Amino acid sequence: MAAGISLYFLMASIGYASALGLLSMGLSLTFVTTKVANFAHGTIAMIGGITTLFLIDRYMYNVKGLPLFVTSALAGFIIAGVTAVVLYLVILKPLADRGSDVIGLMIATFAIDIMLQSILSMILNLAHGKHFPKLFGASVQSWDVTLNCCGTQIAESHVFLPVAAIILTILFHLFLTKTKFGIAMRATIENPDLAEVMGVNTKAVYTISWFISGALAGLAGALLVFSLKDTSPNNSNLIIVSIFAGSILGGLGNVYWGLIGGFLIGLAEKLGTQLLNLFYNNYLAPSLHLPPFSFVNYEKLMSLGLVIIVLLTAPQGLAGIDWGGLLSRMGLKTARSRKPEREV
Amino acid sequence: MAPILEVKDLNAGYGRFHILFDLNFKVDEKEILIVVGPNGSGKSTTLKAIFGIAKVYSGGIIYRGEDITRLPPHEKAKKGLAYLPQTNNVFAELTVEENLRMAGYTLPPDVVDERVRTVLESFPFLKSKLHDKAKSLSGGQRQLLAMAMTLIREPDLMMFDEPTAGLAPIAAKEVVEKILWLRNDLGKTIILVEQNAKLGLEIGDNALLLVSGRIAYYGSAKDLLANKDLGRLYLGLAK
Amino acid sequence: MIQNPFTETWILLVLVYIIVTISLNLEAGFTGIPNFGKAVFVFMGAWAAQGIGIRLAAYLLEKTDPGLAAEALKHLQEIGIGTYKSLVQAAGDTDANRIVVTSYIYPYFQHHLALAALLFTAVLAIALALSAAMGLFASFAAVRLREEYLAILLLSFSELMVMVIFQQTTSLNGGPQGIWAMRFGSNGLRTALILAAVFAAITFLYAEKLANSPMGRAMRAVRDDEIAAGVYGRDVARIRLKVIMVSSMIAALAGLAFIQATPSTVSMGFDRVKWTFFPWAYLILGGMANNVGAVLGTVIFLILQRLVQLLPVYISGTSTTIMTIIPYLSNILVGVIIILVLYFRPQGILPEKPSKTVDFHRILVEEGE
Repeated sequence: MAAGISLYFLMASIGYASALGLLSMGLSLTFVTTKVANFAHGTIAMIGGITTLFLIDRYMYNVKGLPLFVTSALAGFIIAGVTAVVLYLVILKPLADRGSDVIGLMIATFAIDIMLQSILSMILNLAHGKHFPKLFGASVQSWDVTLNCCGTQIAESHVFLPVAAIILTILFHLFLTKTKFGIAMRATIENPDLAEVMGVNTKAVYTISWFISGALAGLAGALLVFSLKDTSPNNSNLIIVSIFAGSILGGLGNVYWGLIGGFLIGLAEKLGTQLLNLFYNNYLAPSLHLPPFSFVNYEKLMSLGLVIIVLLTAPQGLAGIDWGGLLSRMGLKTARSRKPEREV
Repeated sequence: MAPILEVKDLNAGYGRFHILFDLNFKVDEKEILIVVGPNGSGKSTTLKAIFGIAKVYSGGIIYRGEDITRLPPHEKAKKGLAYLPQTNNVFAELTVEENLRMAGYTLPPDVVDERVRTVLESFPFLKSKLHDKAKSLSGGQRQLLAMAMTLIREPDLMMFDEPTAGLAPIAAKEVVEKILWLRNDLGKTIILVEQNAKLGLEIGDNALLLVSGRIAYYGSAKDLLANKDLGRLYLGLAK
Repeated sequence: MIQNPFTETWILLVLVYIIVTISLNLEAGFTGIPNFGKAVFVFMGAWAAQGIGIRLAAYLLEKTDPGLAAEALKHLQEIGIGTYKSLVQAAGDTDANRIVVTSYIYPYFQHHLALAALLFTAVLAIALALSAAMGLFASFAAVRLREEYLAILLLSFSELMVMVIFQQTTSLNGGPQGIWAMRFGSNGLRTALILAAVFAAITFLYAEKLANSPMGRAMRAVRDDEIAAGVYGRDVARIRLKVIMVSSMIAALAGLAFIQATPSTVSMGFDRVKWTFFPWAYLILGGMANNVGAVLGTVIFLILQRLVQLLPVYISGTSTTIMTIIPYLSNILVGVIIILVLYFRPQGILPEKPSKTVDFHRILVEEGE
């Protein structure tokens, strides 16, 4: 089956999937802490993208590859993180304190999304010849570096993205398990009232969770632009579908599974679609005398399809599956005597 | 000697639901006060009102001569009050060690290390389970972990909300013995809400019987245990 | 020169949006369904006239006047557009569509009123059926789950339909180039106005009647406490599905009316800002679960948006820069207003009225008898 899938495409898929993993993880994080389904998450990622454009245009026009990635990733991390915190503290937290319900908060993030997109579009529109004079008409893809590897070529950003994702995930895991504040965050996610009784400043936990969520999104967005055809903020309209798909696949209530869900959705969209395409056009269509059909433009449907399947079969997502029981049924592991209680 | 806690004309509830009416009682140093009463009589709400979780409409809560009525819960915790909710009193997804460390969240790290060590001496069964998640513990073990967590902050006044509810008799006995030990060996003052009236009244010094949010009896626990009328009427005690 | 800012086109927008906002009110206001995918259901109404209606029209023309159909195909070949097997094929193809439609199909149906009426009935039926089916398909997987899931699924479904499926699949409605829709009557704007006015009136009366019916009370029960509603024997999922299907049908009416005035709108024209977010904004301003509020919110907001749009006309010496950012400013303004309303007056201008029930006095009297 590997025939027809280049190493370049494979790495591009993994790069995209890594970015999506970070995005879904961040979305799940603010959902479990503040119970907000953030419809603006994709656009917060685009802030990172615009940051990259700005950096290239102003300061790093002659820099390509790794140094550019690191700089833009850091800048996107900070700018988007701060933006997310501001949005939370200025808009969402006051609304939640006033007793806004789930729908009210969702529509507020919807409003935030439209406003952010409009602001970013305004910046880009005004940029014609004014703000990004050097970038005008140029594709950001050309600031990526092509590496020669294994007799073929791959893009450096596609290697950098998964590496960055792995490092960030490890750091985040260490933060959650080894630092006092990280443990307090896990405690707050599980039982905010009890955490407060213990003296945890839960408001600080919520604020930091918005920073982390936004920062991860900004970083993913800052690196994702190197693979996007155009850098319009409207890209977030479709990215948000994939992010939500990843979070739902992960169970919507679990940060780690959110990461895995996002990664799997990313792979399904890119690699899955490509495999389907090859399978249909090389095997199915010729043998059944069907007309050839290109699935490539419909990759986003993979997300929707998977979401519907997950919601119908296992609404708790991957996090809700009893993996231990599954393994023991498959004879891979001895069954545990006590079934762990369901996470609240 | 001045009482450690004094409750004066307390009226409290949740939002518009007025539950407690004009409560007056006091707790002396190293006393065990048992709060009993039928379901929905306001036992838990009394503890929550003292700790600042339920809403106090009027009246006062005096702790060591200081009015703490309007202080938020974490401020009260700093002053030496501790409150153990009936359920969800440990973090199920955190390990036992993380739970104990969370309990000492506001303390300096070296103090926490020291106190975790001390507490583990008193709750030896936790030593082998330090790295297990709290959700893997049994019900009784969880109550004891919650108690150990409370001790990390070295409170003076500990309030327990039905710690034996849903436990097997043997586990309930262990929990009650631990509460007696808290008073006898560590010198803590205790307010215990107990649905098993007999079990509670046997270890209590004073008893507070609540009926529909009002005090129906306040005095010696032994006397209430002996009082056949009140016992039969409200506590389901055998003749 | 300053013309009257509130033109017929603007009035059409008001009427169309009243339909969409009330349909959203049935879902979000009365039943607590966060439909973040409204756009696709409006688009379904438009597409019934566009992708399906125009082919149906071509088919009817072919059947009733084969000579004229042949002439049209010959014409296409002569002017170098291409060779088509049938008029239906030509009507559905981006390149030939506009010529076939404007010079053959539109005039033909303007002269054959009975045929036009038949076609309109068919298009209307298709719009309703299609949109209801879409509503069912878009939500069945999540109607039993918490609101967030429903919101996410509906948004994803709408985005993918409008931005991917109908955008990429040229055979459906011409893809990015688009095709012209079937238009009834000689003046598209007037047809649109009449249809929108009739649909808006029907929608309003229906929504008012529904709100005060037993079904309306069941909807509120689902919204206020789905567990309790379930306990009292209400099938929450069924009620949600019913409401989504009915509301989707109503939204399709808006799309069908709107496309009459702007027959060449492509699927991307039914974007989520205009057709999902704006109705939400109007509804929140006017007052959730209040149909009069929904109308009021729509009118106030559209006046405001129109004024912002006309801003450069009134400010002398406006630069082109300002012109390009006006739509963005308008969107930001809508967002800010929404958040302010959510904060300061979450119930909107007109709060929900208690539902009309049988007079209490009468119940007492009847009990006594």
